[in-house]
Amino acid sequence: MAANTLERRAARRGWVFASPALLVVGAVMIFPVIFSVVMSLSNVTVTGNGIGLSGITGANYSVLVHAPRYWHAVEFTVAYTACTVTVETVLGTVIALVLERLQAGRGWMMALMLLPWTLITVVSAELWGYIYNGVYGVLDAITQAFGGQGLNVLGTPASAAVAMGVADIWKTTPFVAIMVLAGLVMLPDDVTEAARVDGAGAWTIFWRIRLPLLRPALAVAVMFRILQAFGLFDLPYVLTQGGPGTSTESLALLGYRVLFNDLDFGPGAAVAASTALIVLVVCLAFLKVFRAQVGEQKG
Amino acid sequence: MRFISPRLIPVAALATCLATATVGCSSSGSTTAAGAAQSPGGQAKGTITWYANQFGPTTTDVRKTLIAAFEKANPGITVNLEQAPSDSDTFRSSLETQIAGGSSSFDVYNGDVVWPAQFGKAGLAQPLDSYFPASYWSRFSPGLVSSLTYQGKVMAVPIFTDNAFLFYRKDLLAKAHLPVPTTWQQLQSEAATLQKDHLVKYGFAAQFDAYEGLTCDWTEFAADAGASSVNPAGTTATIDSPQAVQALDFMRGLITSGVAPSATTTFQEQQSESLFTSGQVAFLRNWTYAYADSNGSGSKVAGEVGITNLPTFAGQSGPGYSVTGGWNLYLNPHSKDIPAAVAFMTWMGGTQAQTIIAEQGGEIPTVASVLHDPTVQAANPAFPIAAKNKLNARPSFVAGYSKVSEAIYTNINAALTGSVSPQSALSAASQQIGSALSNTGL
Repeated sequence: MAANTLERRAARRGWVFASPALLVVGAVMIFPVIFSVVMSLSNVTVTGNGIGLSGITGANYSVLVHAPRYWHAVEFTVAYTACTVTVETVLGTVIALVLERLQAGRGWMMALMLLPWTLITVVSAELWGYIYNGVYGVLDAITQAFGGQGLNVLGTPASAAVAMGVADIWKTTPFVAIMVLAGLVMLPDDVTEAARVDGAGAWTIFWRIRLPLLRPALAVAVMFRILQAFGLFDLPYVLTQGGPGTSTESLALLGYRVLFNDLDFGPGAAVAASTALIVLVVCLAFLKVFRAQVGEQKG
Repeated sequence: MRFISPRLIPVAALATCLATATVGCSSSGSTTAAGAAQSPGGQAKGTITWYANQFGPTTTDVRKTLIAAFEKANPGITVNLEQAPSDSDTFRSSLETQIAGGSSSFDVYNGDVVWPAQFGKAGLAQPLDSYFPASYWSRFSPGLVSSLTYQGKVMAVPIFTDNAFLFYRKDLLAKAHLPVPTTWQQLQSEAATLQKDHLVKYGFAAQFDAYEGLTCDWTEFAADAGASSVNPAGTTATIDSPQAVQALDFMRGLITSGVAPSATTTFQEQQSESLFTSGQVAFLRNWTYAYADSNGSGSKVAGEVGITNLPTFAGQSGPGYSVTGGWNLYLNPHSKDIPAAVAFMTWMGGTQAQTIIAEQGGEIPTVASVLHDPTVQAANPAFPIAAKNKLNARPSFVAGYSKVSEAIYTNINAALTGSVSPQSALSAASQQIGSALSNTGL
């Protein structure tokens, strides 16, 4: 009884200490999220005196559903996320496996690898822009030096999307590698040892034992990457402006343009809210599949 | 998380919205009253903030020169300069969030020439008619004030205007014994000759990236071919016409013939200008400042650069069209010191300020008498040529202009890269402009 009271008192004190932080979280995260969802469902009028909301309407979403540009942005963002996250996960895992084996210089290698990750995306995008530039770019100079035609990488829809993906993979693969490496280091050695004693080869040990055990670490890394890739904004903003045409226009860039260039706050909020909904569904589905598989392994 | 009841959150949200609206209304009401009470040009006093992006040369800050001269002429008023983003879209976002949020942290702000309708409709700029005498507006070059008018109200004071020009390499034309081109076709064939003779790597550069600058370039080519994007009433799209196809075919032809580098479709002003100042291109379409830049110390072609009016298409009477660009002063509806802000805006449209902007800023002055002053005309070779320019405005008088412009630059850019045909790009643009004008669709 006495212990229970003490616990409750500690808990109450805990809430008191946590409340300022909770208030801040409420003000900067929960309120804006709810506000933008409410906005996406209202008739919005912008005036110099603020944003006025009235009524409940599905008109903002109906505008999206009927706009080919929106569906293109959805397709592009989903395809971009799927491709870049897949490549990053595979590459990151391979790099982590190599790093784990590395005896000397692992610290140095990790520091070096983290360089791209620490660069601000706008800055690295400008650097990639210099590489890709069709007139004085590095890639252009290399192909011309080998007698090829000048390359206008950002000038065609497919090559622009690939170029953006490469810049993204370059920057975020180290993140996946570090997350996976952390998982690898935590793996119990005895299981691997036991498998080896039973005569399993390195390949079998990796696929049957280490990779399944790595799933939680992989799941976290992939989740983070999906969330970030869905918010893709700075790379197209700097590199392509969504071009050629609107071929590399991501959902975030579209939302920004609708909100801040066109002052269409209703449809803009609908773009934002629908993006959040899509990414939420994708992440939940991903987790469900992953958990199920983890469960199977445990069973 | 039982600390805050979830049920309270929507209530709090609603309360905040209502509070914003109420506060906003009351501040707007009081400013109008204050403005009406104060006669313009009176002895206003106070401190105001000017939210302005950099303009003129990069070596000296002409804004500071202007402020110093203004403060000397108006001892009661102090002007603080607040640095604004140089990218005009970023600047616009910052203005929107601040003004719609009720901010009075700045009183007067710089704004693009294409913003009056959008800002007027959204109430982000205070209409100026009640603060300025009607006679004030007659000093400006013809057409300027009407381009800044939304629903019969003047929204801004024009502080400098900008035109497009053709910049060319005098030395290359002399070597090849070629005249300065007056038609686009002539420009293309001369450029090809210069390239064939290995005098220069590329023939022509412009701004064909998917952004506002392409809408400018497109408007010029289209006007030269006799096409437009929107009808004069601003009610229907006119971009899907045979003349527009001709203009777009020609632009695409500049790239396919190798006269313009294929990377032109990723060029904004800066990239096209640096190609020119590094000596790699013979002809450049750019704004007024490019003359000073390309003859400046950072340029490899300094002293070899000529400037003239843009060409037109063969068979049309020259010169070609230039769109009007430029920047203006807008009044923040939440300003706490409208009389002082109005005094500053009035002065900026005066002879002294306009002469500083022309002579030290290198920008085309908006006041007609200053532009035609012989000493000002002598200060910059671009000014006499600007006086001969045939001007054409982007269709920025429609409130949905930003969407109209997006429809133009995304589709034209797609056609220029070759990913769609000119014909289908124009019909897609036409459809999107139509939905922008009727305010349906994204």
